[in-house]
Amino acid sequence: MEILHPDTPAGLAEALAAAGAARQRIRLGGAFTKNRMGGPVGPADAVVSTDRLTRVLQYEPKDLTISVEAGLRVAELNRVLAENRQMVPLDPPFGAQATVGGVLAANCTGPRRRLYGTGRDLVIGMKFATLRGELIQTGGMVVKNVAGLDMGKLLVGSFGTLAAMAVVNFKLIPMPPETGTFAQRFETAVDLLEARDRLVRGVLQPAAVDLLNPAAARRVGLDGFVLLVQAGGNRAVMARYASELTRAEALDDGIWERVREFTPEFLGEHASGMVERRWSTLEGMRAVMELKEPVVARGGNGVAWVYHANGETYRGAGVMEWGPEDGTGRAAGWPEPGAELDVMRRIKNMFDPAGLLNAGRLYGRI
Amino acid sequence: MIPAAAHQEVLAVVGPRGVLDRPEDLTLYEYDGSVDKARPDMVAFPRSTEEVAALVRIANKYHLPFVGRGAGTGLSGGMVARAGGLMISFARMNRILEIDLPNERVVVQPGVVNLDVTLAVQGDGYFYAPDPSSQRACTIGGNVSENAGGPHTLAYGVTTNHVLGLEVVLPDGSIVTTGGKETDQPGYDLTGLFTGNEGTMVLVTKVWLRLMRAPEMVKTILAIYNSAEDAGRTVQEITARAITPVAVEMLDGLMLRMVEEATGAGYPLDAAAVLLIELEGLKEAVEEQVEQIRQCCAACNAREFRIARSAEERDLLWKGRKNAFGAVGRVASAYYVQDGVVPRTQIAGTLRVIGEVADRHGLKISNIFHAGDGNMHPIIMFDKHKPGDLERAQRAGEEILEHCIRVGGSITGEHGVGMEKNEMMGHLFDEASLAMIGRFKNLFDPECRLNPGKVLPLGKGCMEIRQRPLSAASEI
Ligand SMILES: Cc1cc2nc3c(=O)[nH]c(=O)nc-3n(C[C@H](O)[C@H](O)[C@H](O)COP(=O)(O)OP(=O)(O)OC[C@H]3O[C@@H](n4cnc5c(N)ncnc54)[C@H](O)[C@@H]3O)c2cc1C
Repeated sequence: MEILHPDTPAGLAEALAAAGAARQRIRLGGAFTKNRMGGPVGPADAVVSTDRLTRVLQYEPKDLTISVEAGLRVAELNRVLAENRQMVPLDPPFGAQATVGGVLAANCTGPRRRLYGTGRDLVIGMKFATLRGELIQTGGMVVKNVAGLDMGKLLVGSFGTLAAMAVVNFKLIPMPPETGTFAQRFETAVDLLEARDRLVRGVLQPAAVDLLNPAAARRVGLDGFVLLVQAGGNRAVMARYASELTRAEALDDGIWERVREFTPEFLGEHASGMVERRWSTLEGMRAVMELKEPVVARGGNGVAWVYHANGETYRGAGVMEWGPEDGTGRAAGWPEPGAELDVMRRIKNMFDPAGLLNAGRLYGRI
Repeated sequence: MIPAAAHQEVLAVVGPRGVLDRPEDLTLYEYDGSVDKARPDMVAFPRSTEEVAALVRIANKYHLPFVGRGAGTGLSGGMVARAGGLMISFARMNRILEIDLPNERVVVQPGVVNLDVTLAVQGDGYFYAPDPSSQRACTIGGNVSENAGGPHTLAYGVTTNHVLGLEVVLPDGSIVTTGGKETDQPGYDLTGLFTGNEGTMVLVTKVWLRLMRAPEMVKTILAIYNSAEDAGRTVQEITARAITPVAVEMLDGLMLRMVEEATGAGYPLDAAAVLLIELEGLKEAVEEQVEQIRQCCAACNAREFRIARSAEERDLLWKGRKNAFGAVGRVASAYYVQDGVVPRTQIAGTLRVIGEVADRHGLKISNIFHAGDGNMHPIIMFDKHKPGDLERAQRAGEEILEHCIRVGGSITGEHGVGMEKNEMMGHLFDEASLAMIGRFKNLFDPECRLNPGKVLPLGKGCMEIRQRPLSAASEI
């Protein structure tokens, strides 16, 4: 199979145009850490990789903005930003390898989204390449901007089925002076969720409010139902968290790496493993936390990931976000789409009428 | 003109009391807060999503242009019925449908007034973050369509960061729901795509919003300067020191005097500029940040630093800010508000350029704006009775926006492109990018009936508009 590595945004657009004109099915990716995600991934005639699009194009620390090429690794982006104590707090899985474009296309999010939001909230502008060979600009390099349609929102989470992100502009977040991690342990899911409620209904503003059931807690070296909190601020603020989170154990921030890499580690151990994403209101999380399988949840957002060793325990409640690479057992990756699926298909058809780009992604529905 | 048969069908949907079509009534629906105007042929006031869909089907059957209207506070001519036709007002779809505090959500009809959302939940310690200065009047439907911002969106994000789901009527009359109370539903982010579409792709009939917990402590600061540039530098200094206020608003000397005369908010009359800075959060964080801000202001030659001592003092300071446009109306017969954005490091320089533009055109331009995110609002005052004055004001506005583009900014931060800046879109975006926006418009509205003649330069959208807009010149 032909593998293309364009090294400029224009080159990326040319590569797409050429493959499109030849009616080649294209598999688009950055570091290709997510071959098991959002699939099953369909067959392809050509691979287009953004792995050579790694430049920082413009960094304005005083304006809290940066513009980077989509193949830059998120870890490298944050390394550059850390020099000025700034960050893009996306916290994606495969944190060491994953690229900006891949993380956004798959809409990978992380624990600190409670405070900082997700990709859709942090991206302020974008250039993407289409099958027609165009480079389309949306948004810009300022934090507030409503000129033109916000097409960036559509690209985030589109799994490369519409176009290829070439350049992404972010707004930056200053790092808090100090951070702290706190764990509270409970006997039951009910107790866990009560503690979660007390926290999110109070005045504390933690960055992360994660929930782990016992099976998940064990995997990261903890036990019981765990409320895992990260907060940032000055020393007095951190002391406040320590006193208000009663009977909390202070943990090293390193625990977050285990949480962030929970999915890669699980999939590494289970070749037929599946990770199901469920979404609910904050009040609707009890049933998922009581499952026997490991469950890691964003307690402040209502999103939970259920880890199935194989397809037998999946009951079709959420979407099958990760699965075996060959696609077995995933017929119902996205069980019940609504009427909006038709609108999505029309948009897909506008960008890619022949269905060449990343076929199979978005759970085989698009 | 609306054909008689169409007229009858509209009446059958909304009833005789749900329609306005006498010329004297229609004049009230000709304009928003900007300077353009055009008259719809009929205004209908539906009460439900089904009625909206029925109206859209009638418009399609009789080939009528149609446009949604919230409160008409827009500042880019967004709701102006540029091609006439049917205006669909959401004034009667103004119910808060559900308040769900445990899940931090509220579900509203589009005609709900922005401030009413916060008023409905603040007793329980919650608020809805996007707070346009027009929040006492503007509607959530208008906010979603324009992706409205406001002073506090500096820290909390603009409308799109707080809208989780939409029910919309597409231009073909079908009803679609995107997102909802729950985040992370699979598929494309249609909610994000529709938010900020400026009423050109869908009509919004229901909105799911995120609520936030009210902060423990709020401190409001007034920093007073003898030089506008020093005030601008302070904003830069605050950003550079990683201090994160929730709002940083700036008023220049001319504006201060107008506002003070109108509201008696306690602003100094002889200053060249003030910054209105708000800090929110945990007591321990806010107290420290007040001191850090004090240092920034001192380092940038602030001559005075006042902290509001009570909720009343705080409200008074904000009243001055939020009623500023009314204050301008007492002084100038007409004004024209611009909405350019510049990187925050460019504020001081941009203020200088605005001053030069004012001098060159012999116009008074005053500034009141969301300084923390670089969103400038030069208010260009002119005499609407003086021939050529409006055109000079518009020319001055364009020159300011050209400067914003040159320094890496944008032509609109929150008011939208509308029919006011659509010809400037070509200065900001290349042909391919404009064509892509046009393709989206065409996908949803192939007949170009919904709010034609907006956002894209004329000739680049799907329909040529022959009717030249009249000028309303901001009657106040
Ligand atoms: C004094 C003053 C201060 C302002 N301050 C701010 C500010 O701080 N921040 C800011 O962002 N804006 C501000 N604005 C601008 C304006 O208030 C906002 O753009 C607001 O969002 C418009 O809401 P509206 O209900 O008045 O909408 P309208 O003006 O009626 O309409 C705006 C657009 O939305 C469309 N529309 C309205 N409702 C619907 C619907 N249900 N479905 C589909 N389309 C619809 C219209 O067709 C039009 O294109 C200010 C305006 C004034 C007059």
